[in-house]
Amino acid sequence: MDITVKELEHSYNRGTPFERNALKNINLSIPSGTFQTIIGHTGSGKSTLIQHLNGLLKPSAGSIQIGDFLIRAGEKEKRLKALRKHVGIVFQYPEHQLFEETIEKDIIFGPLNFGVPLEEAKQRAAKLIHQVGLDESYLERSPFDLSGGQMRRVAIAGVLAMKPSILILDEPTAGLDPRGRREIMGLFYRLHQEEGLTTILVTHSMEDAAHYSDNIVIMEKGGIALQGNAEHIFADSDALKALSLDVPETVQFIHRLEERFDRKLPHSVFSLDAAVDAALTILQKEEKS
Amino acid sequence: MQNIIIGQYVPGQSFIHKLDPRAKLLTAFLFVIIVFLANNWLTYALLGAFTLIAVFVSRLPLRYIYNGLKPILLVIILTFLLHVFLTKEGPLLFDFGFLEVYEGGVKQGVFISLRLLFLIMITSLLTLTTTPIDITVGIESLLGPMKKIGLPVHEFALMMSIALRFIPTLLEETEKIMKAQSARGAQFSSGPIKERLKSIVPLLVPLFVSAFKRAEDLAMAMEARGYRGGEGRTSIRLLKWSGKDTTLFIILLMLSVGLLLLRS
Repeated sequence: MDITVKELEHSYNRGTPFERNALKNINLSIPSGTFQTIIGHTGSGKSTLIQHLNGLLKPSAGSIQIGDFLIRAGEKEKRLKALRKHVGIVFQYPEHQLFEETIEKDIIFGPLNFGVPLEEAKQRAAKLIHQVGLDESYLERSPFDLSGGQMRRVAIAGVLAMKPSILILDEPTAGLDPRGRREIMGLFYRLHQEEGLTTILVTHSMEDAAHYSDNIVIMEKGGIALQGNAEHIFADSDALKALSLDVPETVQFIHRLEERFDRKLPHSVFSLDAAVDAALTILQKEEKS
Repeated sequence: MQNIIIGQYVPGQSFIHKLDPRAKLLTAFLFVIIVFLANNWLTYALLGAFTLIAVFVSRLPLRYIYNGLKPILLVIILTFLLHVFLTKEGPLLFDFGFLEVYEGGVKQGVFISLRLLFLIMITSLLTLTTTPIDITVGIESLLGPMKKIGLPVHEFALMMSIALRFIPTLLEETEKIMKAQSARGAQFSSGPIKERLKSIVPLLVPLFVSAFKRAEDLAMAMEARGYRGGEGRTSIRLLKWSGKDTTLFIILLMLSVGLLLLRS
């Protein structure tokens, strides 16, 4: 489902002394099946924006079109529940949403709410528990006996069990160790590719952004500061620095190589392997000459 | 979620904002007592004037006062109706056959409703113009003498300030968990009562888990920073009794005398 956000505005605590404009004039279009990353400092409006995408927050002005669902300021979309079936959100620290006696029950909570038959929901749970890196012996255990990282995986399984076609991830790896980070991001990317999910990732990690995204949006003070594909965004490191953001380490490395050897390199090099390859090529050429 | 104004301080620079919290606490307390002195139209008018002037002087947007009243509006209406229909005094006004309305009943109903209204307004004014921390410091200082008879005043004040401090946090948390569960298809505001009660479980369990976790963390952090109760501990906030506060008491005294003279 394509997502089109038009002139979206949102203010919290409307009409009180605490009123705060969290979003202003957001225009964004996310084609179906793409990987969209949203970057920005704390308080730049990232979380507010994504909560609009399944009707948890209502726009103060503007509209959001998701497939054939239309959410407009001042209007009630009556099919919110149907919309939420398609849009899964993994919130920040999703382990806080666990509540059931057993892990299995928690994973099937979402699917059952959306009318999936019990048997099928259980099958999904059994499959997902493997996908998130645990095994079936966990299904009958209490989610509160797990470690923080394991709880995170179970909570993520609970969202994936709804089989959303749009998956929104709000800093899903915050507070995980590096290995957990890689595993979880790997899982999301695999799902994105295999099931053709539209994925929206909110992150602080430039490396993740560079590595996975088709498109990147950089938010600043409730508005969109920069927008484009990864090459476009990271080519202009000055613009990023002006927003006090960094370019990914690999890109920094390539820039330094270019300066050192006075050569132009392709700027679409974001993975570590590709950066190493680029460096090797350059060194081999240096040796020959 | 956003209508609850307990501990919802509204910043301002008015006369009432600047009063010593002890003065405000005592005033609210004394007001609760002298409200019962009023027993005729004149005395109620006097109380009303005091309340309205206080609201006006605080320069708070009226909507806040109204929001504070909303939850108990039903109670007020109910009290009013009970009095109207159940008090049988004075001349008969209406007769619906099965229900009779007497003048005394209407009068009583209006009085009691006004009394409730004034009480709520004055106490909301206290919480709206005083930060929760100031209220707690005020209470601790007012109850200070009780320490001599072994009352754990400091601990009590600490408990209160922690409770107040965590109201907004817990509300925020509730909202967050509600959102997370709504995103998983839970519905909190529709469906039959039985379903709705059931839908609270996915909200309450995580809320309790995190509240306990928070309590543990807080206790640990306090111990790590060497907290060991109130003994020898001084407060960073020094309360200052000023001319304003004395003025307030003189006004309150005049109000009480006025009530005593005018009541029948």
